[in-house]
Amino acid sequence: MKPPSFQRFGDRAALISWESIIDAEVHAEAVRWDRFMTENYGEEILETVVTYQSLVVYLKEGVDPDTFLKSIKASFKTAKQEESTDEHHLITIPVCYEKDFAPDLENVAHYHNLSKDEVIQLHSEAMYKVYFLGFLPGFPYLGKLNPKLHTPRKDDPRPIVAQGSVGIGGKQTGIYPMDSPGGWNLIGRSPLSFFNPTKQPPAIIEAGDYVKFKPISTKEFEHIHALVENGIYLLDKVPYHD
Amino acid sequence: MIKVITSGLYTSIQDLGRYGFRKYGVPISGAMDLYSAELANRLAGNDPEEAVIEITLQGPTLHFTENTIIALTGADLSPALNGKSIANNTPIMVPKDSELRFGKPMYGVRCYLSAAGGIQSERILGSRSWYTGITHKGRLEKGDSIPLQSLPLKEVIPNASVKVREAHFSAMQIQAFKGPEFYLLPKEIQKELKRLTFTVSPNSNRMAYVLNSETEISAPEIITAPVQPGTIQLTPSGKWVVLMRDAQTTGGYARVLQLTEESINRLAQKQPMEAIQLVIV
Repeated sequence: MKPPSFQRFGDRAALISWESIIDAEVHAEAVRWDRFMTENYGEEILETVVTYQSLVVYLKEGVDPDTFLKSIKASFKTAKQEESTDEHHLITIPVCYEKDFAPDLENVAHYHNLSKDEVIQLHSEAMYKVYFLGFLPGFPYLGKLNPKLHTPRKDDPRPIVAQGSVGIGGKQTGIYPMDSPGGWNLIGRSPLSFFNPTKQPPAIIEAGDYVKFKPISTKEFEHIHALVENGIYLLDKVPYHD
Repeated sequence: MIKVITSGLYTSIQDLGRYGFRKYGVPISGAMDLYSAELANRLAGNDPEEAVIEITLQGPTLHFTENTIIALTGADLSPALNGKSIANNTPIMVPKDSELRFGKPMYGVRCYLSAAGGIQSERILGSRSWYTGITHKGRLEKGDSIPLQSLPLKEVIPNASVKVREAHFSAMQIQAFKGPEFYLLPKEIQKELKRLTFTVSPNSNRMAYVLNSETEISAPEIITAPVQPGTIQLTPSGKWVVLMRDAQTTGGYARVLQLTEESINRLAQKQPMEAIQLVIV
């Protein structure tokens, strides 16, 4: 792995970037740095965000990013790297791929010369790593979608995509955690509530977790939706390690 | 309490912002012009982190159901209390049953209204800043009630008024650091950036300002990476987009520049079609 680059990112942030690839090893390295900094520089750090191949450290007022970068570069070299002991989870997400919830499933199938069932099969048999959350509160960036399902975004984004919608946009698949405009091809919808600002943590999926989609019928969708609404749905979530 | 009689163009409640949740994809939000918002709090005798009302170009009509002390800062939107013109940048005693109205925008875009003790709206994820999807509302509507801190009856008006830096509103120069993808700008643009004139597109809001430019350059997409308020993105179709306080936490466009904190505040006061220059610090 190539060494990362370090740069100041405005008045109060330091950015560490690795090579521009989507790769589990590179991401894991960014996560290691994140942990190292949060553990050793908590006094100076406001918060951090890890993406595929970057780590941004937002600093408290008065901390100079250049001085901060100099200090972490020196200390990280000499620090002993321990393997991750963070607890991650495998979360099974029920998804209804039936017509009412999947306005673009037929187009996606047609685009790839597959049947709708084959698309569902390919989409739901994989396990996806949650690299990070971004774009919208609780929106998971997942890797990796089977190349057989890569589908260009729609030319005209929908003004409203319903909360829980599962889509494919280019090489990515994801879930819309709240109603928002969106240009992804919608192939299903989950009855779960993915983001609740009154809960701690506010998102049911966190960076480092894995997700799997489980096909359900419209009837099951309604049943689970009712349980979720009443706060009595038990999320299928088990401890999982890379 | 403050009753909203009319809402104005875009009025919302904001504080210094919602920190600590960017890893969940939660935008920071907060006052677009933090300099003016903090000043409003100081004038009303508040701590800087209290919530204020952010008013945009066309002000609301507000009815006060209790005595309080307010201060208005930022844009001068010709405010009048009970029909009498009042000044920005000074504390003002507001008796119960007063009506506050706004008129013609004289300078700036965003005006901040603080009330003694701070606006007491809901606090979610550590902040009172309004953002649709996090707080129950995104903007004020006719009929809303805004809770205030009840004040003891003694009428102590902090009688200071302050002089505001004129450059905050008039300076054409907006300062920026080089962004992570600065190298994607053509060499001659890197060198001569300050010779370019940009204008603020009317298609600008709390999430992003779009800058019109005479250049026809563009930059390729990048792998989705961190962005923050003040990040200037250059898109593959050649648009210059300055992310503002409600910006998403990650983005896939080239981050060519990063505004200084002071410059974000200044840009927040630039009117549509106003010209600006970008200068590298």
